[in-house]
Amino acid sequence: MAAAANTPRDRGFSGPLERIDDCTWRIPRSYRPDMRVDGVIFADERLLPQLRSDRAPEQVADVACLPGIQRASLAMPDIHWGYGFCIGGVAATDPAAGGVVSPGGVGYDINCGVRLMRTDLDLEDVRPLLVPLIEQLLRDVPVGVGQGGRHVFPADDLRLLMQRGVPYLHDLGLATADDVSCTEAEGCIADAVPGSVSDRALARGADQCGTVGAGNHFIEVQVVDRVEDPQAAAAFGLREGQVCVLIHSGSRGLGYQVCEDALRSLRDAPAKYGLSLPDRQLVCAPVESPEGRHYLGAMRAAANYAFCNRQLLMWQVREVFARVLGRSWESLGMTLLYDVAHNIAKVETHEVQGTARELCVHRKGATRAFPAGHPQIPVRYRDTGQPVIIPGDMGRASWVMVGGPRSLQRSFGTTCHGAGRCMSRTAATKAARGRNIGAELERGGVIARSRSREGLAEEQPQAYKDVDVVVDVVHRAGLSLKVARLRPLGVIKG
Amino acid sequence: MYEMFEHTADLGIHVRAATLESLLVDAARGLTAVIATDPGRIEPTVEEHFAVAGADPAWLLLDWVAEVHAAFEVRRMLFRDFEVAVSESGLEATARGERYDPARHSLAHEVKAVTQHDLAVQPTADGWEARFIVDI
Repeated sequence: MAAAANTPRDRGFSGPLERIDDCTWRIPRSYRPDMRVDGVIFADERLLPQLRSDRAPEQVADVACLPGIQRASLAMPDIHWGYGFCIGGVAATDPAAGGVVSPGGVGYDINCGVRLMRTDLDLEDVRPLLVPLIEQLLRDVPVGVGQGGRHVFPADDLRLLMQRGVPYLHDLGLATADDVSCTEAEGCIADAVPGSVSDRALARGADQCGTVGAGNHFIEVQVVDRVEDPQAAAAFGLREGQVCVLIHSGSRGLGYQVCEDALRSLRDAPAKYGLSLPDRQLVCAPVESPEGRHYLGAMRAAANYAFCNRQLLMWQVREVFARVLGRSWESLGMTLLYDVAHNIAKVETHEVQGTARELCVHRKGATRAFPAGHPQIPVRYRDTGQPVIIPGDMGRASWVMVGGPRSLQRSFGTTCHGAGRCMSRTAATKAARGRNIGAELERGGVIARSRSREGLAEEQPQAYKDVDVVVDVVHRAGLSLKVARLRPLGVIKG
Repeated sequence: MYEMFEHTADLGIHVRAATLESLLVDAARGLTAVIATDPGRIEPTVEEHFAVAGADPAWLLLDWVAEVHAAFEVRRMLFRDFEVAVSESGLEATARGERYDPARHSLAHEVKAVTQHDLAVQPTADGWEARFIVDI
């Protein structure tokens, strides 16, 4: 293997970005001879300097080289540099045309995602109890590095959980029927193959289902700050002043290990299948190959584990609210609005050049956003569109959106997944020296509690782009439309 | 010796050493310093042995550091001292440390994985150099 060049992030992108409209930019296929399709990035003038500041657009061009890629290599406005694929990237490949699946197009945290839970509580109900509530969440919900969970699954049970997803937890009395129906894919992606998950992955995942983890994962108590689309908000059961809870986590060590195992086992696949790749982290195999099928089976198993992880986290949050407020969680109206993945590869039907085709859609830091009428949306939301949940940073805002009318045509039914980082962890830590991030947040009305000082410093609001700008771009592009803005009241982090 | 470098969402480790063996030792120390706030507090009371197959120095480094990472993830082992011997077919290593004890050890980051993105291991005029990125 040749040694890679030294490639720090300060080498920005100076290639072509052609304006298609005021929020869409093209890297033309002519930019590089190995590109099979154009690159298309959703961004506006406000985001362009940030966009050009790292190598993420070059990664969009890299992904455009993948065999079988259809239409274009896409990136959302929360784009930033990732591994092989940029974060915020979307790539759909056609298995019938030699299309590949790439673990790098999903990421280490398979089915990292978010879920939003409603409550019947108003801001004034929660405000006096906010500090004890957040501190109880920190005590009772496993969060941070090295924190195992209450629910430990022996290997055989873990395989059942990965096969059946959230319905398995329903049978254990840890999920309601509504929890199941309001989770993407009803909490169970078909054709999962738990037998393809390694023993090491099982060991890493045994006590982590129902744990938040660290990094950018969190549980946040929020209030609906502003409703932008009253009709959609009503359909989603949202109103101004209402308290909600946002949960952001993924497949924990189990999923990370599935990705690591796949990257290792695919090292020889490019040579075996004659694939020429611009970056070894794009390593891949044809979807219809033993290696491709093996990865997809294991990835789906990890994805189901992630749905269960967020379900168990939500269950524990319900228990904490009930304890602190002295009422059952049912009487507090703690119901799941929706749970959606933002790191996943799924086989979906999309129209390409007038023909419906089964494509392998990679979403790496990007959220499914199907419009009204799509059969894969829960019946209760089908006339409105799929709920889309966009976490921002812990100081400013998050958003609920709805799948937009142009999403299928423009982005394989996809929108952004968050604000997107704009500051490295090292830079954020340096910027936090001499400051008390927790106190700063508290002055802004946010109670933040973390297991580690690094957690708050590295995840401070300034480390992220302004989510309002990111959301505005996807709204104007018609990928997803604004429904309600939520602002944070309290957060626990690793 | 190792030092951290910046990556948008994660952390990079840059290692320089006189020999490939010492490069591999320092790479493992660098990873430990990402996981634990103060590796100096790890007591070398437990010894574990590792064997990693492979001839390519970059894959060898990646797979070795991944083993050290997995030891923490699966068995909660933190290591302070490493000895590495490299042969044509791979490496054999001895690591000394102890199980993570929340009362004495403070953890800094949850490492998802050691990535192969921009992985570089190469000889230099005065030894060896490596760069790798850990996903946080």
